[in-house]
Amino acid sequence: MSEPWMIAGAWLATGLTIALFSFLYKDNPFFKIAEHLYLGAGMGWLFQVSVFSVWGPKIWTPISNGDLMVLVPSILGLSLMTQFIPKISWISRYGFTFLMGYGAGLAIPASLATDFMNQIMGTLQPLAGVSSMTPLAIVNSLIVAVGLVCVLFYFFFSVEHQGHFKKVSNIGVYFLMIYFGASFGNTVMARFSLLYGRFDDLYTFSGGNYFYATQIILAGMVVYFIVHELLRKKEASEGEAAQ
Amino acid sequence: MKLIKKTIPLAIVFTVGVLTLLSYYVPHKVAVDFVETVSKWENIVMAFAFMLGLISLFRTHYGKITRQVPGWGYSIFVFIGFLAMVVPAIVTKGRTMEAGSITALGWSYRHIYNALAGTMFAVLAFYIVSTAYRSFRIKSAQAFVLFVAAFILILGKVPLGQLIWDKVLGWTGYTVSQVIGWIMAVPAVAGKRGIMIGIAIGAVVTSFKIIFGIEKQYLGRD
Amino acid sequence: MKETLQKFFKIDRRWIFLLLTLALFIPVMKPLGLPNKSIAQETERVYKAIDALPPGSFLMLSLDYDPSTKPELHPMATALVRHAFKKNLRVGVVTYVSGSTGLIEEIFSKVSKEYNKVDGVDYVVFPYMPNVVAALTQMASNMYGIYTVDRNGRDVSTMPVLNGIKNYKNMAMVVCVTGTGIMDSWVALVGDKFNVPVAGGVTAISQPGYGPYLQTGQLKGLLGGMKGAAEYEVLLGQPGKGTSGIDALNLGNLLVLVLILTSNIILLVVKFL
Repeated sequence: MSEPWMIAGAWLATGLTIALFSFLYKDNPFFKIAEHLYLGAGMGWLFQVSVFSVWGPKIWTPISNGDLMVLVPSILGLSLMTQFIPKISWISRYGFTFLMGYGAGLAIPASLATDFMNQIMGTLQPLAGVSSMTPLAIVNSLIVAVGLVCVLFYFFFSVEHQGHFKKVSNIGVYFLMIYFGASFGNTVMARFSLLYGRFDDLYTFSGGNYFYATQIILAGMVVYFIVHELLRKKEASEGEAAQ
Repeated sequence: MKLIKKTIPLAIVFTVGVLTLLSYYVPHKVAVDFVETVSKWENIVMAFAFMLGLISLFRTHYGKITRQVPGWGYSIFVFIGFLAMVVPAIVTKGRTMEAGSITALGWSYRHIYNALAGTMFAVLAFYIVSTAYRSFRIKSAQAFVLFVAAFILILGKVPLGQLIWDKVLGWTGYTVSQVIGWIMAVPAVAGKRGIMIGIAIGAVVTSFKIIFGIEKQYLGRD
Repeated sequence: MKETLQKFFKIDRRWIFLLLTLALFIPVMKPLGLPNKSIAQETERVYKAIDALPPGSFLMLSLDYDPSTKPELHPMATALVRHAFKKNLRVGVVTYVSGSTGLIEEIFSKVSKEYNKVDGVDYVVFPYMPNVVAALTQMASNMYGIYTVDRNGRDVSTMPVLNGIKNYKNMAMVVCVTGTGIMDSWVALVGDKFNVPVAGGVTAISQPGYGPYLQTGQLKGLLGGMKGAAEYEVLLGQPGKGTSGIDALNLGNLLVLVLILTSNIILLVVKFL
């Protein structure tokens, strides 16, 4: 695309970014417009990708080549839409039960092997090779094993936690807290990374080659808020005077 | 009527569920062929599922426009946003790049969708900071442990934090990266693994309930 | 005194927003020059695993992230593709997140030129598929059952890049870069079941959750968040957005710590006043 289009794009992206950020100061029409655009654009993107990547090559092409078997899942898929027509919404059950049956059928072996058996093995296996491990590795393996038992105690024992039970499940809570703390620390970092990404773009678009899009749009937004505030104050004082 | 409204759908979930489950363990050609077909179908059925969201979004906002509820004007932008992606997609046949150059669809993606989606989530950074300031209270031993883990992670993930650690705690002989490595590989593993096993058991039980028709809330009401 | 301190709690949160803006925007304008130096073991494991693959091996990349996690994951994916091309590996790309298609295109339009790689000969980008579980299950026996054409509608069966590649048995490794739970499916349905080495790149948020898979070896390595991306760039010797990003986060991270500590110290003082 030509240079003017890219500059126009930069202005649009900057405008939309600043409009969404402007909510941090105060709710305003620019934010609402950008928010609604986001909903539509997200759906539009998903729609076009589905049409060109799935509906076309996976449904339309086979049907035009005479492979009518794909009509079965297509009809099952379309049956989901009857959800919106209460009288015949039961038809959607055909699509949903197919999806649920398949999902459940695969979830059972996958969860059992990956998140259950392998995790128990992963906890016990290091303890089997103690003779070839360093003292630190042994301690670490024991911490994982003891910690896991305590966490499971906290989760599963439906008896009221008292006495020794309480102590064990309490230790489990501490392990959970370390995990949650690590997650919180990383979440902060992740959110900042996303913000950095937007700031980086805003900085790029603040250059002379983009005709100072960031500065001008930001200034425009500030002017809007000032004018809006002044008008609001004026209206308020007029209202008071009228009373 | 009960037969086609309830019995057959429940028979579908049972049959598909049991056969998919069995085929995971049976490497026979029949099982492989079955899974191949069902997977192909599953993929296609799923390709329609997002339409539920799309129709629901359109209905809500179309309703707002026709009823002219307060703020209905904003709803028009939902449709503008949708068309801003779909119209260029039709023109470019869904391609964002053509001969090394960006297409109209690529332009819309980069300057509208990318900017909006990126910023929507970036805004959360501000809220996490203000919430941390206002609500992160170290009032108990458990909260203190959570704080210490979070503190080390936040500090040690950036070079400046690593420098500060080396200056203040360098005498311990451990770098902050080593401590983070240990937290992630030892106590956090125990915590997460407990959650993982719990979820796995829950998933297996729920899946069996779905297959045997005990859990059928997703069918909706009669 | 007590009231003055308590006022600090009731401070308009927009002041905090402004502080964070300054802490993050200033380093964007003027980098501090404190790039990442430490390398996490998990990152090194991914690097070494890819580095050890003989030229011509088939590396499957599952790039499942959209613009909402782009700053963390895009640099990772870019570095991984660079590494694969540098090692002359064949690269296949699949995706199960619709929003990622535009970003994948961005990577390959840029990086393929850097290494003179040709679409269809050295790499192939498959189209988006809506159901990851179904696609992964299908690919176990014959990937052409689900992927007949590439993202531009070209027949893949005759592409040189896919010569001799039919299913997981022919793939040297899988790396999934995602901001979703899609990597769990790769681990469960591909890594565990077919013994294909699976490694990943995830957002910092989900990084701690993969500790158990790393410990058991179900995951061969993991890049976590912006730091993971920066680490990989260091290993590759090609600084990019991950490196500049981690530099920019220095002040922001410290600001959070200062704020949490300040509020708790104030609370403590108020309690004793």
